[in-house]
Formats: sequence, C-alpha cells, structure tokens
Amino acid sequence: MKNKLGLALAIFIVLSLSACANATPAASASGLSGELNVFVWTEYMPDTVFQKFTEETGVKTNVSTYSTNEDLLAKVKASNAGIYDIVVPSDYMVKMMIAEGLLEPLDKPKITNLQNIGQGYLNPSFDPGNVYSVPYMSGVAALVIDTEKVAEDITSFSQILDPAYANSIVALDDPRAVIGAVSKSLGYSLNTVDPTELAQTDVKLALLKPNIKLLDSDSPKSAMLSGEASIGYMWNAEIAICLEESDRFKAVFPEEGCYLFLDNLCVLKGAKNSANANEFINFILRPDVSKLVSDEYPYTNPNAAAVELLPESYKDNPASNVDPAIFTKGEYVADLPASELERYDDLWTRFVK
Amino acid sequence: MKRAKKKELISLLAMVSPVSFWMALLIALPLIYILGISFCGTDEAHNIVLSPTLRNYARIFDPAIAGIYLNSLSVAGLATIFAILIGYPFAAIMANAKPFSKTLMYVALMLPFWTNCVIRLYAWRTILGSNGTLNFILLKLGLISKPLEIMFTRGAVVLGMVYTLLPFMVMPISTVLEKLDRGLLEASSDLGARPATTFLRVTLPLSAPGVFAGVIMVFIPALGFFFVSDLMGGGTSQLIGNLVERQFKESFNWPFGAALSVLLIAATLILVRLYTASGGQLDDLGAM
Repeated sequence: MKNKLGLALAIFIVLSLSACANATPAASASGLSGELNVFVWTEYMPDTVFQKFTEETGVKTNVSTYSTNEDLLAKVKASNAGIYDIVVPSDYMVKMMIAEGLLEPLDKPKITNLQNIGQGYLNPSFDPGNVYSVPYMSGVAALVIDTEKVAEDITSFSQILDPAYANSIVALDDPRAVIGAVSKSLGYSLNTVDPTELAQTDVKLALLKPNIKLLDSDSPKSAMLSGEASIGYMWNAEIAICLEESDRFKAVFPEEGCYLFLDNLCVLKGAKNSANANEFINFILRPDVSKLVSDEYPYTNPNAAAVELLPESYKDNPASNVDPAIFTKGEYVADLPASELERYDDLWTRFVK
Repeated sequence: MKRAKKKELISLLAMVSPVSFWMALLIALPLIYILGISFCGTDEAHNIVLSPTLRNYARIFDPAIAGIYLNSLSVAGLATIFAILIGYPFAAIMANAKPFSKTLMYVALMLPFWTNCVIRLYAWRTILGSNGTLNFILLKLGLISKPLEIMFTRGAVVLGMVYTLLPFMVMPISTVLEKLDRGLLEASSDLGARPATTFLRVTLPLSAPGVFAGVIMVFIPALGFFFVSDLMGGGTSQLIGNLVERQFKESFNWPFGAALSVLLIAATLILVRLYTASGGQLDDLGAM
C-alpha cells in the first residue's frame, strides 16, 4: 500500500513537471502576433498609455519593470531573445547595449513623430544618428533646499560640504551620481579617471560623509517632505514633486554643472513583435501620448510638441521644465572600463563604511 | 524479503530523485558557479573571463572592506545578544503559558510575517524619525528639548535586525524549553536549590542547544540583510550584504561579489559545524 502510494506520487510529480515543460513554449508561441512586451523602469510609463495603445491598435501589451540600468542589462542578457520587445535604457546603457549587439536598428521611416523631439536631444553621442534609440524622458540630478531650515543661499555643490549641515542631507544611493557631483564641485569631469583628481574627490567625499543623513534612491523626496532632511540631492522629478507640495522648497542646479540623463526607447535584437514595437515608439512620440506620461511623471520631456500641450504647472516648475542652459552645462555619465569602475567602487566603499 | 527491500528502494529513488535533482540544479549548481567565478577576473567590458586569479580574495583585505566586515560582525553580534536578552524570557514565558495564551503568543510572533518586512521597517521611520511619533510625544511631554536622532544610525540597524529576526530566536528556545523534563526542575528544588540556582544549573544548560540554534538563525542572516541597513541605517552603515549586492548590480564585478559571498558562506559553514560539533541537530535549524 505504502509502495503504491509512493509510486503514484512519483508519477504525479513527473507528470506535473512535464506539464510545466510543455506549457512554456505554448504560451510564448501565441505571442507571435498581436502582442507587445515592454520592459521599462518602475514608475515611468503610466497604464493609461498602454490602454490607449491597445484601444487604438488592438495590440495587447505586457509590461515588466526594472529599477536600475544594470538590472535591465543583466535580465536581457540572461533571458532568451524575444522575451522583451521594447526596453528603455539610459544614455550610457544604450552605448553598452549597442556594443554588446543587444539592440536592433529602428525602422526609422515608420517613426515619423521623431520630428517632435527637440533638436538638442537628437543625434546624441551615445547613439549618433539615433540609429537604435529615440529619446523618452530626460532629467538631471540636482539639489532641493528646505528654505525654512537653510538660510544660506546655496548655489554650488561645494557649499553643502560645510560642517554646518551635519547629518542633514538625503542623497541618491548612487555611487556615480554622488562621486560625480563631488568631482564636478572640484571642477573635474564626473567621469574623471585621473588618479590625482580622484584622490582630491576622495578627500571631499570624507567632508560630505558626516553631512549625509541617509542615502535613498527609491523615494528621496519622502525625507524632504517629512522634514527629516533639509537638503536633498535627487532626480529632478522628485524635486518637482517637492516644489508642488510646498513653497518652502527651492530647486538648486549647482553652478558647477549637473549629472544628466536621457532615457531612450529601443527595440531589442530578436524582438518577436518588431513591427508592433516600432509602431509603439512612434505612438509614444505623439504629443498627446507623451503629455499623458508627463502628467503622471514630471521629468523633463524632450518632446517639444508635447511640452506645448502641457499645463502651466509643468512649464512653471523649474524642476520639471529644466532650463536648457542646465543641459548645456551638464554632463552625461560615461560607461567606464572595469579597472576604472573598480576605483569608483573603492571610493564608494570608503564613503559608506 | 530481499525483493521487498529492492522494491522499496526503487520507490524511494522515484520519490527522492526528483527532489535531489532539483536540489542539485537549483542549489548546488549556482553555488559551484559562484565558487568558480570567484577565481575569475573581468575584462574591461565587465565580462567574466577565465583567468585564474586570487586577486578577488586579496582585495578583501583592503582596509575599507575589512572595516565593513568588522561593522557587519559587530552589528550581527549586538543584534544576537539583544535577541537572546529579549527572546529568552519571551520563550520561557511562552513555554510555561497555558494553551490559550501560548497560542496567542505564537500568533503575536507569527502575525507580522503576513506583512512584508520592508513595509514593517518603513513603519519604524514613522515612529522613530526626527519628526516621528516618539519624538513628538517626548517633545510634548517636555522630556527632551530637541528631537532625538535615532533613525539612520548604527543603533537603528541593530534595532531593525533584532526586530526582524527575533522570532527565529524565540522559536528554537521555546521548543527546547517545552520539551524540558519538569521532573528535573522538581528534583532540583527538592534538593534545596533556589529558583535562580535551578535556572543557572539546570534550565540554562539544558536549553543551550536551543539558544545556539537561535544564535545561528539570527547571527547569519544579520550579516547579510542589506535592506535592513539600507532602510534603518540610511545606507551609510553598510554590511557585507550591501557590498555583495553592489558588486552584482552597480559595479558589474561578479567575480569580486562571488569572492565576498564565498567568504560569507565559509563563515556560515564554520558556525554550523561548531553547532553540530557541540551536539546540535541540523533538523532543529530547519524548524522554522
């Protein structure tokens, strides 16, 4: 009796396992037509956009999310080609993905709405001629000051190294953004690999450390809104939300220049729904659709035609509608070779220990 | 007789082999992979290259990284001590409680697991923050003149660890205490020992395996729980877990991350070995 039960159990397990094995190809085979698989940052593309696309085209969209460029790269490399159609990498990651042969050239004749994008955002250094990528959203890392607690008129990043601001800063938990800002405050590139420049950056980081109350990349605005921190170093959309919440906050774009980012819509090599993907990209670039995104997530919108449709609350918010001069003065983060990145890693280890 | 045994063996194999297969596939293979790449390097494009090196292990002796190891050990050590100090009395009360209150205490211990740990840690921010509930009350009562800085310190990390891991200390201790032969306690008191002596000479030695199991289940996770350090310590009091996470996610240095993990796994195995050598049962560690 006991033996029979064991055998039955074993057969059941084997059968259920083989059922699993069968199920996977069946599910993805049905995705050949009428679907689109989008892989995008969390809190970055509103549901209304996907619903509208499905309404207009009948194409069903499946959305998965990631929270860092590195996550995106690791997951794309680890999964079979064709799992995702659309990805939204940042500037330096576009360059890396092109170098690794992970992206498919866009069907440019189909993407007629590219003309809506502001000239300054086209033909970027990481993808000359926009062969593989078109701009989605953009922004900078900048400072937000609680003017009720900070009397000094802060204009540069070096001012927040003052011991007067001990234990009062919330900053992005992002080595390249923080180390880069300190390098820039010394007048260096945020991608510097010069050993003497990095040594000076290290000294300044030691000054910054006691001023940091917490590092948080997920929702640094919370620490500002709750009054936990009086100075914040974060992405501009987070600052924009602080400014909307209260007049006591002020956005400061350090005079030394900011860390810039530009996120881009790309099609992955081997995408099963390449035609749908190109159509989706063209759809996103439509002014009315791009406006839907900005309504929800107030990053800087590179779509000039969409900006015209946006309300005054976007245009008048200096942290959303960032002055183009800031972009001219700022700098994109560059992908560093492994040996140089290791030096940044060592700097960061000393900073957070 | 012999045939029956053979039949039993076949059905045993049929039942166990899928499990062993999945164990090998999902646990052993990744660990072997981690061990393997810990001796590799990366090329300038961050790809792992097969060039045997001990460099990743040498890098661990960098003073900053050694500092993070020491910080981790002290945070985990303190968390373990506090978990024993709070967990032991709790377990003792629970073991001796009436069935109804015992159930209630179990529920109180287990119920928090229904809510995600990260969310529960966020709640501490609301309570302990500079404008949090605790500071608000203390300020109103006039006990302090300016807010206490409790959050985003090393102490907050220890608090978070104790809070998250306390059930893993209570469970094994209370299991041991429940099984404790009451006759021994009665004999001790009959022979004239006072309650304190009975506790120190009888209860404590007999419950030591439970405490040791609890120590292992608190100390080891505390070395690696990077999210507790992120949320409670504000990311500036980092642990080995944070360091490992960063190598895999931001610094693209899987081999170095693997070397750091191997060291952590080795430390874990040594602790478990000490545990079994002192008479502990591995099954008790799986009790939770």
